[in-house]
Amino acid sequence: MLEVRDVVTSYGMIQALRGVSLTAREGEVTCILGPNGAGKTTLLYTIAGILRPRSGSISFQGRELAGTSAPDVVGRGISLVPENRLVFPHMTVRENLFAGAYVRLGRDRAGVEADLDAMFARFPILKQRAGQAAGTLSGGEQQMLAVARALMARPRLLMMDEPSLGLAPLVVEQIFQIVQGLNREGITVLLVEQNARLALSIAHHAYLLEQGRIAFHGTPSEVSANEGISRAYLGIKGG
Amino acid sequence: MSDYAVSLLVRIGVEAFVALSAYLLLVIGRVSFGQQAFFVIGGYAAGIATALYGAPLAVGIMVGAVAAGVAGALLSAVMAPVGGIYFAAGSLAFGELVRVALLSFHYQVPVGADLTGPAGADGFRGVRALFTGGVSATAFMLAVAGLVALTFLAIALLLRSRWGEAMRMVGEDETASASLGVRVRRVAALTMAGAGALAGLGGGLFVHYVTYIEPGHSDVMLGVHSLAYAFIGGLGTPLGPIIGVALDIGLLESFRFLAGYRMIVFGGLVMGLLVVRPRGLLDEVAVHRLSRLVAWGRR
Amino acid sequence: MVDFLQALVDGVMLGATYSLLGLGFTLIFGVLRRLNLAFGPTILVGIYAGSHVGLAWPGALWAVVAATVVAAILCGIYVERCSFRALARQAPVVSMISTFAVWMQLQELVSLFEASRTMPYPSPAWLPALTVGPILLRSDALLMWSGATAIMLALFVLLYRTRFGTAVRAVADSSEAAALMGVNVSIIGAAAFLLASTVGGLAGVLIAQSQQQVTPYFGLWATVKGLTAMLLGGAGSLPGAVAGGVILGVVETQTLWHFGGQWRDLASFALLFLVIALSPRARSEPTL
Repeated sequence: MLEVRDVVTSYGMIQALRGVSLTAREGEVTCILGPNGAGKTTLLYTIAGILRPRSGSISFQGRELAGTSAPDVVGRGISLVPENRLVFPHMTVRENLFAGAYVRLGRDRAGVEADLDAMFARFPILKQRAGQAAGTLSGGEQQMLAVARALMARPRLLMMDEPSLGLAPLVVEQIFQIVQGLNREGITVLLVEQNARLALSIAHHAYLLEQGRIAFHGTPSEVSANEGISRAYLGIKGG
Repeated sequence: MSDYAVSLLVRIGVEAFVALSAYLLLVIGRVSFGQQAFFVIGGYAAGIATALYGAPLAVGIMVGAVAAGVAGALLSAVMAPVGGIYFAAGSLAFGELVRVALLSFHYQVPVGADLTGPAGADGFRGVRALFTGGVSATAFMLAVAGLVALTFLAIALLLRSRWGEAMRMVGEDETASASLGVRVRRVAALTMAGAGALAGLGGGLFVHYVTYIEPGHSDVMLGVHSLAYAFIGGLGTPLGPIIGVALDIGLLESFRFLAGYRMIVFGGLVMGLLVVRPRGLLDEVAVHRLSRLVAWGRR
Repeated sequence: MVDFLQALVDGVMLGATYSLLGLGFTLIFGVLRRLNLAFGPTILVGIYAGSHVGLAWPGALWAVVAATVVAAILCGIYVERCSFRALARQAPVVSMISTFAVWMQLQELVSLFEASRTMPYPSPAWLPALTVGPILLRSDALLMWSGATAIMLALFVLLYRTRFGTAVRAVADSSEAAALMGVNVSIIGAAAFLLASTVGGLAGVLIAQSQQQVTPYFGLWATVKGLTAMLLGGAGSLPGAVAGGVILGVVETQTLWHFGGQWRDLASFALLFLVIALSPRARSEPTL
């Protein structure tokens, strides 16, 4: 579904991605592991059209995506749940969801209203908080709002950047159940996550990004079987 | 040297103090629209010292600088923790407060046959210490130039010291510098006091040169101009604001043939300059290159 | 008591135009995170254009309004191009200094065309004044208030009920997240600027018809009032700017009635200063 080939992205003089290739297959959860500063967020922002790749190609459903502007990327069915959630703090929960549907708000108002009801059915807590400013929500509620907001654009590919960051273990579990549920409904997921053990538990395929390059990829069991990786990222003692 | 040239140079010198004052605050990351208030406080205090109490010229000017410095310290009690747009607006409000307060400031005492002293909206006239003391305009101009040079040297040395390092750190990131042990509030408070004193020094010199000062001299335009000078001349060195003043007043004069279009041309030049060099002519990179050139020349 | 009520009513009427100026400031600052010091001077140019049209075609009020708003919008586009778009990659303070340079240009432009310094501005004098009990409602003040209120209502419908408004507020809240939702941030920024200039031009019409004459100091005056209204309301909040404007208007008219003209400005600046000195937000949010 998503094919990233030899993508190079740089900020000024610094090369953040030095030729990254990966594939996210339709209907699967693909996760990207790696240490801080490896370029995971940069990769997601490049796919999302916020950053422009210097070279390489990104194709989505067989069509080239590299160089497409962010509005068009969203329009083509890719949404990103950003790191630290980035909800609109002074807007209400309902307004946040409307903002998520921005690209189709002009032509499909009725569909957006229907999706809003569907979102409230899926996340009852958001319905309770509908009129509340998003900045007053708890971390877990904000994460749910961020996911719901991204879904309002009706994505086929959902990208998530560190959804577990700063959340209590129970809440994290809940979020991951939601992600797994969305995946079962047919949404392809590209997941960046520090919590490697949890990420591997729901992923079909995993990539390891180190210093702007893919260092390893394989199925979750292949990753766990690799001694160096499990020692570094899963905290399993070798030997 | 013609009288006209002398008065031009004095004007450049006097405004250089206000520009340096705004520059010091820029170093700690504060944008002030209110340095004109300290200029006027310094002017009134210096005038009162010499014209009302017969203090010698030099003492009077010192009194002006100290008074404005104290005012800066007092203001810092409230404004030191404030940053960003709030500092800009708070300093603007302070500048206007001083202006409006001076409109009803009456303090006249008989000196000889006349009443002298601040007279509300009519201002403070008859500050004649420069002329009764027999100082020629040229000598005064040279004294002002000397003071500007000394101030420049002092600030340049300060910025190279540990204190200057702390000031720059506060300007970059207050939270980070606090976590590294910089006393942010103290740095901000002392800088505000110092900046106030500098502007007050300018005010003391000004009032004695033109013999009067009025509330209208606490004009927002003076404050914003002095802020703009650093961005014209360059933020990389305290020489920047001085160059900014010289360019502004110098250029304005050379644009005189353009009569009514002066500000339009000058404003356009500043806008263009900011696009090409957003941190002024002598920005940090230019200063670094120049100093390497000088070091190479010395070898 | 009647004095107090009269001053209160006058203050609310005056404050409505301050609210408009504050909203113009808030739209630009909220969306672009940059201060436009030239906001007042752009309105000044609009008013001068309107004044000239009014002198050339006496009685053509609509032409006066149109000239004022169009000139303000053109100046706004100029500011947006030169001080915001051209400097989008620079620190916000650089934009602010640049708007100051534009200010000097606009001020000079006005005095170039207008040697006499004071310009008359037409006012619909045929409107009757109202008296409600002991309270007198001057016709120009009434027009100022109802005009400003109508504009604010329209503006709030636009910002809170339309797709465009959602985008504007989303960018103001978090431009990064808005971009991820597919909002074209730079287009929304330019549109917010145009909207602010339009609001500013309309505010200029309302204020000028009430004062019936305008001097070049109007630029500084309008910038200070707008900035104050915005900051009183908490810098970036749209309802806050409305409240800030009304508070400023009421404080001004109350001090004017009870203490006299010279205290009016003192009170408004003291209010601004106190709000900044006491506001916890000012101490935690370096935004420039």
